[in-house]
Amino acid sequence: MKKITQLVLMTLLLGATLSSCIGDDFLDDFREPEIRITTMLDTLEINTSFQMEQLYFNNVGAEEMIQATWRSSDETIATIDNDGLVTAHEKGETTISVHYESDDFMVSDSTSIIVDGFTAVEEFASTSGEVKTTSSYKLRGDFTFSEKTDGSGIELSLAENYCTSDRLPGLYIYLSNNRNSIANAFEIGEVKIFEGAHTYDIEGVNFNEYSFIVYFCKPFNVKVGDGEL
Amino acid sequence: MKLNQYIQPATLVLALMLTVTSTALAGGPWPQPKGGYYLKLSEWWVVFDEHFTDSGETDPNVTTGIYNTFLYGEYGVTDRATVLFNGALFSRNVMNNLRSSTTNEVIAKGEGLNSIGDIDVGLKYGLTKPGAALPVSASIILGLPTGATAGGELGNLQTGDGEFNQMIQIDAGQGFKVGKSPAYASAYTGFNNRTNGFSEEFRYGAEVGIGLVDQKLWLNTKLNVIESLKNGDTAATTNSTNIFANNTEFKSVAFEANYFVTKNVGISASYATVFYGEIIAAAPSYNVGVFVNMR
Repeated sequence: MKKITQLVLMTLLLGATLSSCIGDDFLDDFREPEIRITTMLDTLEINTSFQMEQLYFNNVGAEEMIQATWRSSDETIATIDNDGLVTAHEKGETTISVHYESDDFMVSDSTSIIVDGFTAVEEFASTSGEVKTTSSYKLRGDFTFSEKTDGSGIELSLAENYCTSDRLPGLYIYLSNNRNSIANAFEIGEVKIFEGAHTYDIEGVNFNEYSFIVYFCKPFNVKVGDGEL
Repeated sequence: MKLNQYIQPATLVLALMLTVTSTALAGGPWPQPKGGYYLKLSEWWVVFDEHFTDSGETDPNVTTGIYNTFLYGEYGVTDRATVLFNGALFSRNVMNNLRSSTTNEVIAKGEGLNSIGDIDVGLKYGLTKPGAALPVSASIILGLPTGATAGGELGNLQTGDGEFNQMIQIDAGQGFKVGKSPAYASAYTGFNNRTNGFSEEFRYGAEVGIGLVDQKLWLNTKLNVIESLKNGDTAATTNSTNIFANNTEFKSVAFEANYFVTKNVGISASYATVFYGEIIAAAPSYNVGVFVNMR
């Protein structure tokens, strides 16, 4: 009887020992830092000013506030101060660039603007691409990502050729600046449509704010696929 | 990855529990004699960072562990009728922290869920008389949803599948000799009727075993197959998180050793691995335990 008791206790002790810990898994979420001009200024009227905006994303795609440096390639046409306020002087074209430098790296972005007799900002920007699987779960389809014509946000339209697996629990779609992580992503919502054309109306997001569409199984943090914006 | 099990722990556990009791000592087509019984207390666990997806390939997932303390029992009511009990007295489902390899920050906090697991009760009836050359038995097993179906912040931990299922099973087998050693072979087929939007399952398997060292040591290997009819809910048709546990399929092979420490008491250890699966963990499971055999 003593031997049986010992065996039972050993079994229970083994169970308690085995099940005690929660360990750590590590996700490879490095990406090159990026600075991005988000103002879509096309033409600036002579003797007027316009506020340029930028966003900086660190090495995991998280947005950070930084002190960037702005430059104009031709200051006779337009100048820009350190806060990004550009002022037009005479007709022509110049390249506006933004820079950020740390101890380890330097990042920059640029855009061309025309100085003329009027101001024009690009409206209803749109881009298209393809979402595709990065796993062995099915995901594919063409998409269009565009500003809504009433200015109320973004419209993400999946085309008729879209399809994905309906076997996953909690498949969600996100906008992210890191294609491997949803840590700093914008959650569009749970996927409810698994094939065919459909559209997501997205509020509170700017056109240039994110780089990727990503599909994740949210409960298990398993990436299913992505598309580049 | 329920991934998890995906990855769903509950179905995984119940299914793979098929592998942890030797037919030589219990189960199979041989009912217990009247008044005879078999009890086994065991620890079963699987830890996996990959799972079989719905295409049968493997994908990575956050490391998930499922640990169960099982009590399995059989009691011979008559020489042909045996009542069965198989319950997870304690079940723990854990998921690791997910950290950024760049910043070391926690992206998704790990969690654990402890509770009682699901319980099976059943009745096995010998269709042939005790001592028949080709014993055949029929069983009905009822799966009681006593485990927790949605623990943790995201509801992604579970110790049960949340459904009441009814399984009928036919077993047949035969004992024979290999040299001077007793041996046996058995096979079974069954149908698992599931509720609550879960797909029905067709199950079958086979086992061979041999008794060595004056029948103190019993070794066996077994094949278990579950095929889903895939007639249940999917994410397209339900909001239930229990679809985690749906449409699981696998083919597994297990190896087990049982050693009698005394005439009636022994210890056992087994290893099982899935060599083909869908929506199930892609890692081996282990079981160690102690049993009392009063046949």
